[in-house]
Amino acid sequence: MTGVWVVLGVLALGLLAGVLLQAREGRIRGGSDRPADELPVPVAEALQPGVTLVQISTTFCAPCRHARVRLSALADRHDDLHHVELDVTHQPEVAHALGVMRTPTTFAYAASGAELLRVSGVPDADALLDALQPHVNRA
Amino acid sequence: MPKRQIDPRGPRFAAGITTVVLAVVLITSWWPLLAAQGVVFAIGAFAGLRFSPYGLLYRLAVQPRLGPPSEREDEAPPRFAQGVGFAFAVVGVIGYATGLTTLGIVATAAALFAAFLNVAFNFCLGCEAYLLLQRFTPTRKRAEA
Repeated sequence: MTGVWVVLGVLALGLLAGVLLQAREGRIRGGSDRPADELPVPVAEALQPGVTLVQISTTFCAPCRHARVRLSALADRHDDLHHVELDVTHQPEVAHALGVMRTPTTFAYAASGAELLRVSGVPDADALLDALQPHVNRA
Repeated sequence: MPKRQIDPRGPRFAAGITTVVLAVVLITSWWPLLAAQGVVFAIGAFAGLRFSPYGLLYRLAVQPRLGPPSEREDEAPPRFAQGVGFAFAVVGVIGYATGLTTLGIVATAAALFAAFLNVAFNFCLGCEAYLLLQRFTPTRKRAEA
């Protein structure tokens, strides 16, 4: 009988863990107050006028591919929104400096380098657009 | 050398079978089944996912019905995950076989947890561990990355 209880317990724990993980996917967090001139060089160089979505990715990362497709499509539809993907597989210090724990993590920066928000996991395009108001004009 | 790409639905299908197998092991305490699952893990990890019995079953019986995948995934993280499963299966078999039943149960339960997360939520715990390891390994050691 112990075995049955263990199975049930594991499945219950698994369900809990799974639901929590799904809830965190695409979660948008507010920007940080970190000064813009402390941005890692590759990030600072990627900034463009309007809003730049800097996606931090690594190799071996299927969700990164999803996010890239979604975000570049989103950027294509808005003149003042740009998408840049940074592969930090060989630049872990960039991930560390930004406080990135999992990939993909996408940062939205104003042209000044101010961090508007960050999203971990594959972002929901509509939720992202909403969160970026009023910095981006809705098409 | 290009990295092998696989249909990402395959590992998830395999995780489904693994979940059932491990649940049966826990309920019956029949550890030879755990040993067999350990062999399946080993084949997937060391020979490649396409040689694993579950992988073969998927390619021959399931994939033709589903059609081609919309995208492919690198094989390395799921293979590493099979290796982690193999390690847990070894510990589990040792536990059950030597009378340390609690050890056997705990190891099998941990593997079941990971397999269930994979099949139910498409979340591969072992893959995440692999990615974290990659991120924290000094670059000069990752010659092929």
